[in-house]
Amino acid sequence: MSETSVIEVEGLTKRFGDTVALGDAALRVDRGEIVVLLGRSGSGKSTLLRHLDGLETPTSGSVRVLGEEVPSLTGRRLRALRGRIGFVFQQFELVPSLTVLENVLTGSLAELRGPRLGLWSYPKRLKLAALGHLDRVGLLDQAYQRADTLSGGQQQRVAIARALMQEPEILLADEPVASLDPESSAQVMALIREIALDAGLTVVCSLHQVDLALSWGDRIVGLRHGAVVLDTQASGLSKAEVMEIYGKVVTSTTELSAIEDELTDAASVVEPVR
Amino acid sequence: MSPERIAASLTLVLIVGVAAYAVAESGISIPALFESWGNAERFFERVGGIEFPPAAELAQLTALTLGIVISGTVFAAVLSVPIAYLAASNTTPGRGWQAFGRFVTVLTRAIPDVVLAMVFVLMFTIGALPGILAIGIHSIGMISKLFADAIEQVDEGPRLAIRAAGGSKLQEFTSGILPQVLPSWVATVLHRNDINLRGSVVLGYVGIVGLGMEMSFAFKSLNYSEGLGIAVVMFVLCVLMEIVSSVIRTAMLGVAPSGRGLGDRMVRGVANARARRSGGRGVSAGERIETRAGLDTPRPSGNEPHAASDLHAALRRPWTSTHIRDTAWGWTALAVVVASVAVCDIAWGDLVTFWAKVPEIAMKFWPPNFGSYDAETMLSAMGETIMIALAATLLAVIVSIVVGSLAARNVAPNGTVRGGFRLLLLVVRGIPELILAIVLIVITGLGAQAGTLALAFGGIGLLGKLIADSLEEVSAGPERAVRATGATRAQVYASATVPQGTRALIGHSFYLLDTNIRAATILGIVGGGGIGYYLLNAGQGSNYQVVTSIVFMILVTVLIVEGIAVWMRRVFR
Repeated sequence: MSETSVIEVEGLTKRFGDTVALGDAALRVDRGEIVVLLGRSGSGKSTLLRHLDGLETPTSGSVRVLGEEVPSLTGRRLRALRGRIGFVFQQFELVPSLTVLENVLTGSLAELRGPRLGLWSYPKRLKLAALGHLDRVGLLDQAYQRADTLSGGQQQRVAIARALMQEPEILLADEPVASLDPESSAQVMALIREIALDAGLTVVCSLHQVDLALSWGDRIVGLRHGAVVLDTQASGLSKAEVMEIYGKVVTSTTELSAIEDELTDAASVVEPVR
Repeated sequence: MSPERIAASLTLVLIVGVAAYAVAESGISIPALFESWGNAERFFERVGGIEFPPAAELAQLTALTLGIVISGTVFAAVLSVPIAYLAASNTTPGRGWQAFGRFVTVLTRAIPDVVLAMVFVLMFTIGALPGILAIGIHSIGMISKLFADAIEQVDEGPRLAIRAAGGSKLQEFTSGILPQVLPSWVATVLHRNDINLRGSVVLGYVGIVGLGMEMSFAFKSLNYSEGLGIAVVMFVLCVLMEIVSSVIRTAMLGVAPSGRGLGDRMVRGVANARARRSGGRGVSAGERIETRAGLDTPRPSGNEPHAASDLHAALRRPWTSTHIRDTAWGWTALAVVVASVAVCDIAWGDLVTFWAKVPEIAMKFWPPNFGSYDAETMLSAMGETIMIALAATLLAVIVSIVVGSLAARNVAPNGTVRGGFRLLLLVVRGIPELILAIVLIVITGLGAQAGTLALAFGGIGLLGKLIADSLEEVSAGPERAVRATGATRAQVYASATVPQGTRALIGHSFYLLDTNIRAATILGIVGGGGIGYYLLNAGQGSNYQVVTSIVFMILVTVLIVEGIAVWMRRVFR
């Protein structure tokens, strides 16, 4: 493993029964890079991200993250690695009945021993840190509200604060704005980028909108049917060029137009949460 | 029709046939009922009036009964968490553990609390502890079963997020799952507490201190005035407890009570009336969210972050109304639990010393035999209990279909009829079966008739409500279609409403039969006929090997009925 790369995936194949979710996928990400995984739903973006955090076991292939061979880790060592990787989900996945602050604090569970329930069960030092992260995402005033009273965009920002609580080296985001309205989407994407640059985080974020991917990421990795078909720097690339690359690997015109529809217009069909 | 369905249908017909035979055998007839009404009048004349124990004594007994019931429920509530963790398919550490967890839930549910109380009374010095343990262990079954069901239905997302952040399995459970299921757990525990209070009467008959014991003494010494007085107190307590638990469920958890008890109904009634008065001006949760989302302007990038002192200030949670309310509920709940344990005056030393007695007492219960009774007597007594349960269930089903249908919005000819029958069900439900049984026994004499009637009466309250609810839930489409063909009201009911509600009816009826088998045993203890009488006799006569045999018979019966019920529900899905 080279000094600079924090993620090295080689020959990664994952089958669920007869379906091939990932077929011989490869990816290499350097420290501090901001990478977008681009692809339609079902192209294997989520599965790839989940492998990086040890949430899936590969059928075959190698997944090295932060110098560790992820599939070989179990128990405490796996949890320690997960603690170094923040994960932001499409559906935010906050615990609805807990306060915003306690949701953020659950990001620190990896460094704590034993079960925690209730704000009193977390040390003051961590509570202060959590409040700081909430301030960072602009939700300090909502710290003591129940998580499910917040709007979708606010909930996703809480989820980002939860990931920051881990003081991660890598931030993985799986379609973080697919359930949000355009305005909240812009806020959340800007926030992720800003935080990543501030802290020198490595980010791998899956998206399905070419426009957003091009304007937001440093590097675009395109997936199709579980394989990487595109890997290029984002700057100077146009949407037409991206579609052209897809056009080279796609043989049927129906699939190409389907790809074009989904990758370009998807933002308008997304149902915002609340 | 699959062979399995045919077999299930035949079994169903057979069960109904046996139940019909049981009703015929029980000698219940309308003229006899009117005759015994005369008995009742004469009886009440003889009693003269209702008397209560002295106020101080009554207060002390009431506190003790409540203390034992609440402590027992809390004991079960705590133990049900690990049991449910093992039994739920999404949290269990392995198949073996899951089988163990399920076994505990089934077993603790199947052994009546009365039997446990009899055993524990032997092991502990007289006092509250045997009652607490009996109620506690028996309640584990229901609470952990419902809790495990709730765990299996949680949203797995938050849990996945905690796993992704490096949380352990236990942390996934406590931080990701527990907060989601806590409301349903509290609701179940409160519901169970109501049931335990109703059941506490009979524990007095086997030597658990409190109102039940005082009542049994009064009836045994033919002091009917005082016995009835305590029964009235018990009835009032049951209703009050239901109201309190409904209030807690609504206020603290924001869960509208869906229970069938009197208290639940009152709370719903009050809440609805309040909602109507406010004329919908109140801000709904949804609207609040909208407003807040509208004001949502995040700190623009580059803005100064808050100073460290502000963060320190933010450590103190502001005393919003929600926070005040939650804190108040929390401390009140804690105070009630502490007071309950305190009032029981538990001989904690017993928990250490009783282990030494376990082998000796266990020996007394083994091997099982029928003692001085012959097998035929015992089996026929068990048969009588089953017949009581079957007869009571059938009677309840027949009456409930009529009452329940008329209480359903889509069947009742008008709102008045519906309201009237709903009210009838409500009143019936408010009376604990055991008290009814005791009163009936006093009036009609010992025997199966009183037990059957009490169970049937109580069953109507439960089943009638369930039937009314399931009929209201049927899809309206077929009803409209049949009505459109020019069918009469009765034809619509027969051709569209009933066919859709049949499945639910079968399910609910088996649930009632299941409950009634256990209840019939317990009614026997207070004199309602069947195996319960022998159980009480064997316990009081120290024939513990007989107790073991009887418990085995009850267990086998309960498990068979549960098995049939599960099978029926699966086949007639």
